Order: sequence, then structure tokens, then C-alpha cells
Amino acid sequence: MAQDLYEQLLDRYPAIAKAGELNNNEQYIEIDSAYIVEMCTFVHHPVERPLVSLFASDERGKSGGFALYYVFALISASSFLILKAVLPEGITVFPSITRDIHAAHLYEREIKDMFGLMPEGHPDAKRMVFHGNWPEGLYPLRKDYDAATKPNFAHNEQQFTRVDGTGVYEIPVGPVHAGIIEPGHFRFSVAGEPIINLEAQLYFVHKGIEKLSEGCSIEKGYYISERISGDETYTNSLAYCQAIERIAGLQVPRRAEYSRVFFAELERLICHFGDLAGICLDVAYGFGAYHFRMLRGWCYQLTEPVCQSRFLRSVNMPGGVRKDFIAGNEELICEYMLRIKKELCELVKIMKANSLFIDRVENTGVLDAKTAADFHAVGPAGRASGIRGDMRVDFPYAAYDRLNISIPEHNNGDVNCRMNVKLEECFQAIDLIRQVIEAMSAGPISVEIGELEPYRYALGYTEAPRGENLHWVMTGENNTIFRYKIRTPSFCNWPALCKAVNGNIVPDFPLINKSFNLSYAGNDL
Amino acid sequence: MLKVLKKIIQYPRLTIGYPAKPLDTEFITGRPCIETAMCTMCGECLRRCPSGAIVADKQSMQMSIQLDKCIFCSLCVDVCPAKAVTMSKEFELAYLGNEVAQKSSKLFGRSLQIREVDAGSCNGCDYEVNGLNNPFNDIERFGIHFVASPRHADMLLVTGTATRNMEQALLKTYEATPEPKLVVAVGACACSGGIFQDSYATKNGIESIIPVNVYVPGCPPRPQAILYGILKALERVK
Repeated sequence: MAQDLYEQLLDRYPAIAKAGELNNNEQYIEIDSAYIVEMCTFVHHPVERPLVSLFASDERGKSGGFALYYVFALISASSFLILKAVLPEGITVFPSITRDIHAAHLYEREIKDMFGLMPEGHPDAKRMVFHGNWPEGLYPLRKDYDAATKPNFAHNEQQFTRVDGTGVYEIPVGPVHAGIIEPGHFRFSVAGEPIINLEAQLYFVHKGIEKLSEGCSIEKGYYISERISGDETYTNSLAYCQAIERIAGLQVPRRAEYSRVFFAELERLICHFGDLAGICLDVAYGFGAYHFRMLRGWCYQLTEPVCQSRFLRSVNMPGGVRKDFIAGNEELICEYMLRIKKELCELVKIMKANSLFIDRVENTGVLDAKTAADFHAVGPAGRASGIRGDMRVDFPYAAYDRLNISIPEHNNGDVNCRMNVKLEECFQAIDLIRQVIEAMSAGPISVEIGELEPYRYALGYTEAPRGENLHWVMTGENNTIFRYKIRTPSFCNWPALCKAVNGNIVPDFPLINKSFNLSYAGNDL
Repeated sequence: MLKVLKKIIQYPRLTIGYPAKPLDTEFITGRPCIETAMCTMCGECLRRCPSGAIVADKQSMQMSIQLDKCIFCSLCVDVCPAKAVTMSKEFELAYLGNEVAQKSSKLFGRSLQIREVDAGSCNGCDYEVNGLNNPFNDIERFGIHFVASPRHADMLLVTGTATRNMEQALLKTYEATPEPKLVVAVGACACSGGIFQDSYATKNGIESIIPVNVYVPGCPPRPQAILYGILKALERVK
């Protein structure tokens, strides 16, 4: 299927499409930048061949112009088709594909802010990453911008979408919120109680991670990847390591692969328990909240004896895992998993028998299947709306192809479905950990990466607790990073969240928000 | 309802007694220490430290680790050819910055209201601050509450590097907090910028924007380390 599409493309556009590199399951095709819209719409299908990432790279020093990469996931073929278009020298305009492929709208705005490339024909190309304080004409991801330069503050007015009409008013919330959460500004347009429109202004925690990692050693890049989003430390570091390993053309030892599944699933448990506690708390169901917090606490009690880090930091390394953390801890792990499973079973029974609780979560914050597909909603949010994508099954990495795994199936797209997906994934994670412990055999845990060839690139991908997580690394000279593009699941799901709240009452927003539980840090970078 | 009661009876008390009872530190990754006698000053750790926390003092011929920058990644332990670096179990690392004008223990007595502000963290520190509210740490037993508005707060608990986009919000939050007030910087980012130092979008720590009373190093610091920092600001621990 991948081969078919690839040949069709080359046959159909012989003059403008040129076969590029094939790196494992990544097929690159170089295309003429004038035909971006035509080629992308030819490849794209919102469910079977979604646009999963779109980014630019300043390759003026190498090929004369800015390069744009359009990454499509060919789900049934477990491969990626990447259209690469190099803009002609001196050109800083590229055709927008947003009108045909909605999932591209934020990527194009990001490229505009970070590279100063104008997406021509974008319906709403206003500023995103930099708020009114950033001066015009400075683009940090261009190679001629020094990472440490801090320009003076500009004072431009931030634009928001306005809703006009009798009785319509705005509620501004944030960036500093009432709870202990990350900063973001929400602008609700409301008439009476129901929300008409929600615009989320993010990027308050933008730290310039992509720029900071450029020129860093591969080793330092690893520590940066761990700190993209705290609660997704492990999955981000895994995606980074896998990208590096693919560039090096290395296969990590089996024991390392199984260890990675163990840690990834443990992180999923921790993350989901936190989300479920939040859902309970936001409907004032204290009993459930405290119980899920207890389960989360138990997971932390397990992480410390196993890897001496609560957030699973310094566990991975490019080439494998840092130490054989699991050896000697098998019994402890199994004991904890049994205890957690038993408690979770009993808790779910009590929760689901509480009609007051179920009444609040059912039919709240519905994300319909069409919207989810159009925005390429990923992870539990997508799976609750009938989109079956899961990187562990569609693009198996680490040891997932040797393990039994089933994807929860829900279609309603409300808070209840997202909660159920997360609950089922908790049971699934416990089962996967059991399978891993049974399947693991003794052996080496890492391989030496060695020197990497400059200007090689590869994707690294994982199924983070929040969904599809895609990193792209291009190496530079002397074992450094030339370009590191991070696309976490939160980036895809924020616009979906903003749509899911429409028609709901403002007091339900925290609940809907919690059922998605998106990372601000992972989005803002 | 009966099942709920059964659960409440099954788990009557989960709270760990810290700080009255010492914490079990067997599996903790704490302060990194360089054994001067074993150190050969080869500089390998200094070159490879991801956050530039290690400095060489040429005069005394000693390597030292700046705790505020350290991200506790253990890389220096792994790369030291002389095996001179170890990660100790010491986690109570909070230290004082600007002194509080009057005795804070008298000012705030046994009741303290905290407003938490994320000024650009990776959310690791925020999850650990959240952990103070869980049944294991239960910070309310000290008369300490997290409140929804800075106007109700006595203390700001700030995480993150202070990003460009959060600078103003942080300053406004500080100004909205009534005097007398305390500021605690939580985590390597808030103390020094951590691994995100010297970016176009970050400040190297929050002290360049607001005065800081207590620094809590760590990446992220565990809930008990944050608790220690808060109690230190109140002069309720030594």
C-alpha cells in the first residue's frame, strides 16, 4: 500500500516529485514547492493517511532555501510518507494547505512565527508562539538568530476572535489559574451559560527548547528531551532515543526493549491515575479523587526502588537503558501490579454505581468523530471519539509487536468515554507490565551509539499517555543536533478541546479540560 | 455507600510522618557529592554536565557543584573516570535567599496561605507541588493551604524559569500578593534556569524578576523537599 501510493505519486507527477531517501519505514519524496497543495491533498486522508507533523528547517546553508517537511502516516502500511519541499533561495512564502487539511492550521502558524515563512492563503495566520511582546522581523529558529539574544519587549495588542450579538460577553481566564496547573489564557465567549466559542492562548511556558537543542551534543539533547513535559518524561526521552538509534541504524537489545515497555506503561499508569483523580475532583467526588491519588502514590512508591527517580528520569539513554533496573525487582513489580489491579477493580465498581457522578460525566464535552478526525485528535481523546489510532499497534516500536494489546473502543466522545478509555488503558498497562516481566530474558541492556554521520535524519515515535508523540531529529557536525522538531500529542489535541467545550456551560470547562488533560509545556516547548 | 465506608476503614491513614518522622531515604537520589581526595580534576564532568552546574576552582584545585543549577541527572557519576562523584541521600536542600524582614514564624503563626505560580516549568515541579495535597503528604496538617488567588496568599510558590511570556504575569501576581509576603523558588529552573538557561525566551531563574526568600533545588524536588523549603521559610525547621 505504501509502495503503491509512492509509485502512483512518482508516476503521476514525474516532473515534480523525486524519490528521496528511504529510512526504515520513512519514505521521503522531494517535491517542487509550487505543487505543495496538490501533492498534499493527493496523499491526505483524515483517518487512513493523516497529516501527523509539518515543520520547517533552515537549510539555507546546505541547499539554499528553507525546507518544509509534510509528514503523513500511512496507517495500514505502518509507514510514513514525508513530502519535502525546498523553497527557492530568497523565497519566504509557501502555499498554505489549511483550507484542505485542517490539521495543518497550527503547524503553519508556528512556522510563520519561528521561521518568518508566510503561509499564503491561511485563513487565520495571526501570531501564536509569541504574544504581543515579541518584535516584528525576528525569527528564532533561523540559523542566523543567536539562541541567547533576548530582544526588547514590544507592546502589540493580542488579537482574539470576537463573537458579536445581543447578550454575548467574554470571560478571560488565566494565565495564572486557580488550581495548581500550568499557565494558559482562555477567552470564553458566552451567552447566558453555554459557551459559544473558546479561544486558548497558549505558549506562556515557551522556553525555546527546539532552538536550545540546536548545536547541543546528542547526550545533552537527551536530557532536554526528558524535560519537555514533566509527566511525560519517559515517553519523550524514548521518542528521542529511538530517533537517534534510527539515525545510527542500530537495534537495541531485547532486554532494553522490554524494559522500555515496562517504564512506558508505568508512566501511562501514573499519568492516567492523575487524570482520573482530576476528573473526580472536578465534580467534587472526593472519595474517588483521593483513591486515585493513593493509586498514583503507590506507583511512585514503585518507581523509586526500581529506578531511584520518581519521574523516570535518567532511565533511558540512546542505545538502550542506563542500567538493568528491572533485574531483582520482578517480584516487587508483580506484587504492586496485583495490588493496584485489585484496588482499581473495586474502585471502578464503586465509582460506576454512583449515579450523581456518572450524570456529570455523561454527554459532557462531546468531541464528534468528524471534528476529531479533521484536527487529527490523538490518544485517549481520539479513541473516545471513534478514532482507533494507537502507535503501539499501528507502528509498533520497542517490544510492542511481541505483546498482546487491544485498543479500547468508544464512540460517544464525551468525558465519560475519555474516562473509560483511560480506565481500560490502566488495566491494559498492568497486563502489559505482567507480560513484559514474563517475557524478559537476561541479556545486554544497551549498545554503543558511536559517532553519528552529519545531516542524517529520522523520526522517533511513541504512544505517550496523551497519544501519538512524534520527534524528528537531524544531526549536525561533530555529534550535535542540527534540528530537533518535537510534536507532542497535546499540540494536536488543544484545538479539539476548544471545539469539545462548545455548547457546554462554563462550570463544566474544568471537567472537560481535565478529561483531556493536555500538557501546556509539551505544547509550548 | 457501605463499600465506600469499608474503603475508608481499610485505609484509615496514609500520611507519612515527615518531618516529625525521618523519611526512608534508601532509594532517593539526593545531592551529588564530589570526593575531593579522589577527584583528579580531569574536567570530564564539567564538560558534559547538561546544565553547566559543575565549576572548577583553579585556586583551591577543587571541583564543586552548584546546587541551584543541578538537574540531578547522575551523569557526572556515570562519566567520572576516578569514581569520585556519588549521589547522596540528602534531599533537604532548601537554602535561604533574601531574609524576611521580621521573624516569619511570628508573622504567619500556624497558618499560611500559598498561591502557586508556574512561570515556565516542564510541569514536573507542579506535579510534585500537587503531591503535597495528596493523602501521603497532606500539607493541610501544618495549617498550610493552597489558595486560588494571590490576593489571599502569604506565600508565592514559583516553579519554572520565568519565560518571556510569563514575566509580566509573574510580576503582576507578586504585586497582587499583600505584604508581608514570602517567595519560594521551586526547582532548578526557578532557582537558576536549570537546563533552560540562556535561551531567547527564558530568564535564568525568577530572582531577576521578584525577590526570593527560599530556594528549593531539585529537578523536580520531591514533595518532602518542597515541604522542607516551605517550613524553612516559616522557620519551623532548622
